[in-house]
Parts: sequence; structure tokens; C-alpha cells
Amino acid sequence: MLFAFILIPLLAAVAIFAGAPARKTALSAALVNSLGAGYAASTWNCSCWNTGFQVLENPDIQLSLGLTGIGTVMLILSVIVTLAAVYSGKCPEGREKIWFASTMMIAAGAIGAFLSTDVFFYYAFHELALIPTFLMIGILGSGNRKEAAWKITIYLALGSIVLLAGLILAMNQMPSWSFTDLTAAPKHQNEIALLLIIGFGTLVSLFPFHSWAAAAYASAPAPVAMLHAGVLKKFGLYGLLVIGMKVAPEGMAHWLPWICVLLLGNIIWVGLVTLNQKRLDLMLGNSSVMHMGYIFLAVAALAANENNSIAEPAAILLMFAHGISIALLFSLASVIERKTSTMEITQLGGLAKTAPALAFLFGLAGMASIGLPGLANFAGEVMVFFAGFADWKDASGQIDMGWVQWTTIIALWGVVISAVYMLRAFRRVFQGPLVKSTETVTDISICDKIPTYLLAATLLLVGFYPQIILQFINIK
Amino acid sequence: MPFDSLPTPTLNEYLMISGLLFAIGLAGVIIRRNIIVIFMCLEMMLAAASLTLVAFSRFHTVDGLPDYDGQMLVFFVITVAAAEVAVGLAIIVSLYRARQTIQTDELTSLRG
Amino acid sequence: MENLPWFLLLIPIASAAIIQLGLKKSAALSSALSTISVLATFIIAVLLLGKDFASSFNWIEAGTLRLNIGFKLDQLATCMMIVVTGIGLLVHIFSLGYMRDDPAKARYFGCLSLFMFSMTGIVLSSNFVMMFIFWELVGLSSYLLIGHWYQKDTAADAAKKAFLVNRIGDFGFMIGILMLWAITGTVVFEAMNGASLDTAGTYLAGTAILLVFCGAVGKSAQLPLHVWLPDAMEGPTPVSALIHAATMVAAGVYMMARTFFSLGITAENMGILGNAPDVIAWVGGITSLVAALMATQQNDIKKILAYSTLSQLGYMVMAVGLIAPEAGMFHLFTHAWFKALLFLGSGAVIYACHHEQDIWKMGGLLKKMPITAITFLIGTLSLTAVPFTSGFYSKENILIAAKDSPLLYIAIGVAALTTFYMFRLFFIAFLGKARDSGSEDAREAPVVMWVPLALLAVAVIASPFFSQFFPTNGHVEVHAVPHFGDKLVLMSLGAFATGFVFAFLLYFGKDKEPISIPLFRNKFYLDIIYQRLVTVFQDAIAALVHFFDEFIIGGLLVGGAARSAQGVGNIFRRFAQNGSLSSYAYLMGLGAVLVIYFTVFAK
Repeated sequence: MLFAFILIPLLAAVAIFAGAPARKTALSAALVNSLGAGYAASTWNCSCWNTGFQVLENPDIQLSLGLTGIGTVMLILSVIVTLAAVYSGKCPEGREKIWFASTMMIAAGAIGAFLSTDVFFYYAFHELALIPTFLMIGILGSGNRKEAAWKITIYLALGSIVLLAGLILAMNQMPSWSFTDLTAAPKHQNEIALLLIIGFGTLVSLFPFHSWAAAAYASAPAPVAMLHAGVLKKFGLYGLLVIGMKVAPEGMAHWLPWICVLLLGNIIWVGLVTLNQKRLDLMLGNSSVMHMGYIFLAVAALAANENNSIAEPAAILLMFAHGISIALLFSLASVIERKTSTMEITQLGGLAKTAPALAFLFGLAGMASIGLPGLANFAGEVMVFFAGFADWKDASGQIDMGWVQWTTIIALWGVVISAVYMLRAFRRVFQGPLVKSTETVTDISICDKIPTYLLAATLLLVGFYPQIILQFINIK
Repeated sequence: MPFDSLPTPTLNEYLMISGLLFAIGLAGVIIRRNIIVIFMCLEMMLAAASLTLVAFSRFHTVDGLPDYDGQMLVFFVITVAAAEVAVGLAIIVSLYRARQTIQTDELTSLRG
Repeated sequence: MENLPWFLLLIPIASAAIIQLGLKKSAALSSALSTISVLATFIIAVLLLGKDFASSFNWIEAGTLRLNIGFKLDQLATCMMIVVTGIGLLVHIFSLGYMRDDPAKARYFGCLSLFMFSMTGIVLSSNFVMMFIFWELVGLSSYLLIGHWYQKDTAADAAKKAFLVNRIGDFGFMIGILMLWAITGTVVFEAMNGASLDTAGTYLAGTAILLVFCGAVGKSAQLPLHVWLPDAMEGPTPVSALIHAATMVAAGVYMMARTFFSLGITAENMGILGNAPDVIAWVGGITSLVAALMATQQNDIKKILAYSTLSQLGYMVMAVGLIAPEAGMFHLFTHAWFKALLFLGSGAVIYACHHEQDIWKMGGLLKKMPITAITFLIGTLSLTAVPFTSGFYSKENILIAAKDSPLLYIAIGVAALTTFYMFRLFFIAFLGKARDSGSEDAREAPVVMWVPLALLAVAVIASPFFSQFFPTNGHVEVHAVPHFGDKLVLMSLGAFATGFVFAFLLYFGKDKEPISIPLFRNKFYLDIIYQRLVTVFQDAIAALVHFFDEFIIGGLLVGGAARSAQGVGNIFRRFAQNGSLSSYAYLMGLGAVLVIYFTVFAK
């Protein structure tokens, strides 16, 4: 049954290459998947749905899928973003095949990775999703697309190799590659943790392995940017939480100071870099890098104390929220680019007058991404901060200011930084008097409204009642 | 000294001769510039290999008889070498037609 | 009945949602819906007066963390609700007239409903996290309403500035909440107890309280985060009355009072907070003094009122810092009515003078718009603490709280300055003769605008007699009975007389500014200094970091690794792959020899 979630988009991709009407096939596949995910989530009770078969005896590798709590959340995220991504962006004439087939393949890879309950296929599905990502950026990207495509390819390939080394080092000490058999590795925990942090970290654009992200997102076509930043990037964090913390808890604790420093690099350093961006798409790309720091903060809290019960749900909720909000922002940025044919912030202005619905949606998404209450990101961020302070008192009730607490305090300043760049951009692009590029702009069309309102409604729903997502994680 | 009173050459002596031939051939392949000469040197290396096979066949007896597998292989080598000469010379001719030269130091389009 | 308070939250958010989603096109329906919704909440608030309900639901539940959305009604909350919904109702009615011709009327009323929702949430909240949520949401509604005329650059900039400055305060607020949570083990007001502060030690407890106070510094515009409030006057005047004078800016004081009550901090045990209360009191005192000085040299009628608001908020914060939060709350309560009255009065004046805000271009308005002028005078008298007005009683309580502290002299000085700048405003704008065409044609405001003014004037006179609804914790009796002959009363009267005499001598019958003090006029140059600081510290560092990120990390480290790989490859290409067949053959032979050597001979 779970195979259907992967097979439907894969078959849709094959059908599109075989000549089926591209947009319609992709849309129906995305819709069927969303309905299926809705059904799966509504009837979900931890352990059902597991399925799989043996692929290799030694090492013990199975192609097995299962619907864990975290996996369910990520599945919902994937199908929502996929549905929106299929609607988003403007496909160049005559390139429908590769456009929609790649989108479907990225979706299949992402869903496959999050449904896998075997480390090998978890890794393999992610690689499957990366290939069409590179292709789409290289072939159909905008601006400096060749360089961006090379950059993301080299970075992610290198990151994946380091990651694979770490995984092999860890999994050789396990009875099988199945998630259910993951235990703390008896040997080499520090090395495993280091390799996993660098490997997964590169995939998540952890500072200082982040320079691929902004450039790639800026030149990627809208659906690819949405799917990669929204869904695929969460692969690394998911891996750190589900694999890293299981196989090398002591190793993670060993590298805690480094994790803290690097995540502050994401929040403060990249935050300042974001502040200095002159192009809307680069700013959004950098902001997405910056917000990874908050999720890493939850990982750090977990690394400091693996019994921290708040950190994991916090990370998952924030991953979900960030995925939806950044997808919405990229979708809207592509609408703005299509309507005004510029992404230079200084060449835009007063868009709220000519395109009020666009301004409303962008404002909502921007407010979500800077953590305004009532929208999903706030719930995640506030939980992360609480997770950071959960271990402030040690067992005897004495107050002990540790790495994680200091990091949390400094990371909170990032909330100010992100407000500055987001409001500055909103002020420049949507407020003030009209300029030449925005005078004749028409408001967002019904076709663009469908995906954006879908994502906006998700943000509001989860923001008002986060339990809707947290319920999947609370049941153990 | 009568001819048949000469001592029978040992396996080592055959192998020495064959190795010498092979080395001369390899040296020719490496040093010479003319493709036809290189080609002939290659043939010499093949002959060296054939000689080794025959020698082993002679000295490796099965039930008192030489092991004819080695001699069979030599016939194969000779036939294949004949075919190879035909193909190789054809290539050299067409190469000469295309480039007006068969000197290897002028054929450097494999340069990286 | 127990669930009635939920409607206080539901009605305004429903109104905001309906307007945003369905009624954008119909200005009349939106304004009607919004006004009716606030009327309904006002009725509910009156019904709930004196009640004591609590209810909540799980908002976030994960591991050991439980965050609730719920309400806790007590005297403090119900009383504040009356202020919020009462003034909210009158401002809505006033806006029907003031914003009648605005093209974006529907958006305006939608945002007002959103604000009512957020403000109600702050007042009702039963825990710190819920308060923080609505705290940010009032920030958002304030941002939207200041930027209502977003096509004007000044309005858009002011809105952005307000939001960002508040964010800086909220940075501290959030850390404070986290620390208090870690110290007391809960964020729920009722469950907090001051004893756990003792175990944490004065240093940490004081730091936590001061960080929470950061939130109030931002929201209530205390020094050094006061710069956004005067700029916020770019918003429509009714908004200034509701949000930036009466309710939202007072939320900081409300929150501090809430915190002190929940932690059970009184004058006896304030020692557990170390010096934190003193810091709070001095921040309030200095703010009130500096703001009053700035107000004396402003020419924009709304700016004068804005600085006056800053100054009065400083008073309230000072009272809180002196561990007399009930005195601060009482002043908040009376101030809300008379400051709303003053702002709406200034709105009526601005409306009548064709959106002229410079007081030197007004004049003689007393004859042309008598109702507005008389209600404005009532507000002025109350603000300047003339005996038997509401301001007199509430200011009296703060002076009592400050009586053993050097802050008393600041408070008295500020009282004199307040009288001075308010009567300066009154003399210039309402007396004398019209100095500009706008004030020549000024006519009395329409009914829909003067009725709220009249109602507010009644409320200003009546408000001290609601004082029995005020929470007390024994330190300062909130009382509405003046003790004439008391030293403090005499000082206060002396301050009033001084201020009035100076204002009369300097400004009565004058047509232009007789004195000029650039330091005060330019707001102590703080705005310029901040501007520079932001440019230098934030933008320059950001540019520097961006440079490093792009050229050092992206160019040298990463690009360097790429280039060195390329270089090594080039070397091999040049020397090994030279196109000479013989060298290939040589290398191949060498390789074969090596393979033979390693497979056969190397054991």
C-alpha cells in the first residue's frame, strides 16, 4: 500500500515521458497522493501499513516502508508541497515533459526517503530525488544556472559521500540496516557523529557548507526550489534525528560545542548575509538557510540531553512549518518575477496597490517565516526555544547555564534579524509609491491562487492548532 | 662436432630467447616512430609469446607425450595474427590517406 | 456564562476573518460588522465585570511541555477589558466618521477587529506564552494600522520601525519568559510562586524580571526603545487614540503588574529581585522626564500627545518599579480614557482643519468647534491632574508610592512640564485667532465624531469612581479621596500652578514660538544617533559578513578547494597525457611490469 505513494509519481513521470499530457498527469498524481496521504494520516495508528521485502542478505538490507509518526508528518508535508509545486511556476513552451516529470521524480524520491524504514533505501531515495533537481536547475533554471547547478551538484555529492561513509561506519556495527535495529554504536561514536554532522549538514546547508543553497534556489525553477527547500532539505535533519541520535548519542554530545557554533553561524552569520541581499530570490534562499539553524538548535538540545522530550517534536513541527512557508515564499517570488520581470528589490515598489491579494499572501508568508504567532513557524520556534531551556536546571535543581542555553539566547537575536530583512523587503517591494515595473501589474491569477492559498491555509491551521501535527509525534 | 651430439636446449634457454625477443619487440614499440616498424615489433612480441607456448608444450609432458594444448594455442595465435596484420595494415593505409604520415610523433590528437 | 469569555476572543477574530475573506469590496458592511462586533464584546465585558472564571485548552503538548490557550478572569483582567472594549467601541464609532471617505475603509476596519482580538487576548491570557502570542499579534495589528496609508513612505517606514523596535524588546521578553519558566517550572500565572525565585538567587531572579521588562520597554515605548511611538502617529488618528495611547502601549504596564501579582512580589519581599525594581522605576522616571521635555517643543498636535503618552507611560512604569503596580494600573485606567479623549479630540481638529496637524496653523478653534474644544479641555485638565479629575487621583497614588524615593522630584517636575506643554497646546490651537485657511473654515465635527468625545468626557470624569474594582495587595490603598493639606497634594498643586503660569506667560495670545530649544525639539538627537548606530553596526557588519561569506568562504575556501583539484588535474593532463603513442606504450609496459611484480614476486 505504501509503495503506491512512491509508485504513483514515478509512474506519472514515466507516463509523461511516454507522451501523456504532462500537466494533467502530474496534477492528478499529486492529487491522488494527497488524498491517499490524508487517508493514511486520518487512520494512522503507529505500526500498521508496514511493508517490505529483502533485497540483500549480507549486509541485511530490505526495501521496507513504514509510516512512523515523524514519517507521517513528512509525508503530509511532501504531498502538500508537491501539489502546490505542480501548480507553481511557469513552464517554458515545449519543455513540459522534463518540467513535470522531474517534479514528479523529486516528489517520488522525497516521499520514498521519508517512508523508508531502512537506512540504505532512505539514502538511495534521496539520491533519486537529487538527480532531477540538478537537471532542472541546469537546464531550465534562470540567471547563472550552470554555475548554480554545478555548485549544488558538487556540494551535495560530496556531502552524500561523507554521509555514506558515516552511515557505513555506523551500520557495520548494527545487526541490519533497518531503522528498528538502530542502537548506540559500540565503537567510533565520535567519528560517526562527525561524519553524519558534516554529511547531513551539507545537505541541510549547515554553516559553513551552505554556499550552494541561496544560489541554487535563486536560479531553480519555482517547483524545484519549493520541493527542495521545502521538503528535500529536511532529509538531513530527519536523518540526524532518526539515525544520528540513535546510533551516536555520545558522539553527538561530544561535538555539541561545534554544533552550537555552526548553528549560530547559520542564524547570525547567514542572517546578516541575508540582510545584505539586494535580490528578492537570493534573500529568500538565504533566509531558508538561516532558519535551518533553529532546527539545528533542537538537534543541539537533543544532543546535550537525549532525554529532552521537547526537542524532537519541536524540530519536526518547525521542519513542517518551514517547509510550507518557504514553499509559499518561493511560489510567490516566482509570481512576482513573472509579473514584473525583475527580482531586484530596489526596482520594485508599491505592489500592494496593484496586487493586493499577492501582498496579503506574501505578507502572511513573510510573517510566518519571521515567526509571527498564529502561523505555524511560531509554534515550532517557541517549542525549540523551550527545548533549549528545558535542561537549564540540573538534577539537583541547581541552575547550570550550558552551551545550549547560551546558544538559545544568542539564537533569539536571529528573530530580530529575520524581522529586519523580511520587513525591509516587504516595505520595498509592496509599500511606498508605485514604480515603473509595478505600475501595470495585475493581481495574482486564480491559477496561482490555488497553490498559494492551500499553503497559506495550512500555515494558519497549524499555527492556530499545532496539536494537529504534534499528535503524530506524541504517540510512541 | 656432429649435429646430434649437441646438448638438447633446456626450458630455461627457450624462455631466455623468448624473453629477449619480447624485450626487443617492446623496445621497438616504445622507441621507433614509424608505425609499420612498430607493427613489426608487435609481431615479434607475438612470436616471443608463441615460442614460450611451444617451449612449455614441449617440456610439459602428459603421459610421456608433449602437452599439445600449447601448440594448438600457437596455431590460433598465428591465424589471429594473420587477420590482425590484415586489419592493422588496412588501418595504417587509411591513416596514411587521412593524415599523410605514419610517424607517431606527428599523430598526437590524443593529447589531453 | 463560564464560556462567555471565549466569545470575547471569537467575535473580533470572526469579524476580522469575514472582512478579510468576504467583505473586502463592501466598506459599509465591513465597518458595520466591525463596530457591531466590538459593541458585542463591550456588552460581554460589562456582564463579566467582577466575575472570576478560568478555562483553557491544550495548545501545544509535547513531552514535558504543556502550553495552554486559556483565560483567567480577575479584577485586573475585567477592569482592563472595560478599558479595551469601551475605548475600542468609541474609537470604532469615531472612525465611522473620520475614515468615511477612505478608499481602504474595509481593510481599516478589518485590522481594527484584528487588533481588538489581539488586545483581548493579552488581557485575558492565563499564561506567559499566550500573552506573548497576543503581544506579537497586537504588534502586527499596530504595524498594519500605522502602515494603513502604506503608499506614503513615511507611514510605511514608521510601521516597519514600530514592528522592529518591538521585536528588540520581545527578544528580551522571550528570554525572560524562558528563564521564568525554567525557574518556576511553569508559565501559567496562577501556578507561579515567588518562593522559587528565592532558590534561584537574586541575581538570576532579577535578570529574569528585567528581561521580561524588556518586553514592556518595547511595547510601552520606554527609553531606550521609545523611538517608534512618535513615528507611529503616521497612522490614522483614531488608531493613535486606541492603540498608541490607551490600550496597546499600556499592555507593558499591564503585563508587569500581572507578573508582579503572580509572583506575589510586594514591598516586603522585593529584595529577592535584587536591584531590578529600582532599574524599572528609574527607566520609567527618566522616560517620563525626557519625554515631557521633548513634548514642550513639538509643533505637531499628535506628536505633542504622543510624547505626553510616553511621559505618562513612564509614570506608570515608575509606579510598577516602586512595587505599586496597582497605582500604575489605576493611572493606566484613568489615562486610557483621557488620552483617548485627547487623541480623538485632536482627530476631530485635524479632520476639521483639512488634515492640518501643525498647531501654529490652527487657532481660535474654541469658538468654531465648542464641543470638541470643551471635551479637549476636560481631557487636558485631567491629564494635568487638576483636583477632582480622574488624573488627579491616579497621579496622587503614584506620588504616594514614590514619596520615599528621589523619583518623587522627577515626578513633580514632570507634572509641571505636563501642565506646561498641554496648556501651550491649548492656548495656541484653541484660543487666539485662526492663522491658516484650514482653521478658518473649521466647523464642528459631525455627530458620529462628537458623541464619542462627549461619552469619553463623561468617562473621564466618572472613571475614578470605578476604583473599587481595582486589585490591591495592601501596599498602597488605591483611593479616590484626596487628602488636602497633605504635603504631596500641595506639591502636586504647586507643580500645576507653575506649569500653568509659565504656559500662560509664554504662549497666551502668541502667534509664533517665543523660545527655541533645539535639543528638545530634536528629541535629544536620539533618532539620529540610532539611525547612525543601525547604519554602522547592522548594515556595515552585514555588508562585511556578506563579503566574507562570498569571497572568503565561497571564494577562497570552497573555490580554493575546487581550483586546487583543477590544478592537480591540469598537471597530470599536461605531463602524462601528451598524445605520444610511444610514451603511452612505455607507461603501459611499465604498468604491466608492476602488475607482474606485485602479483607474482611481491609476497
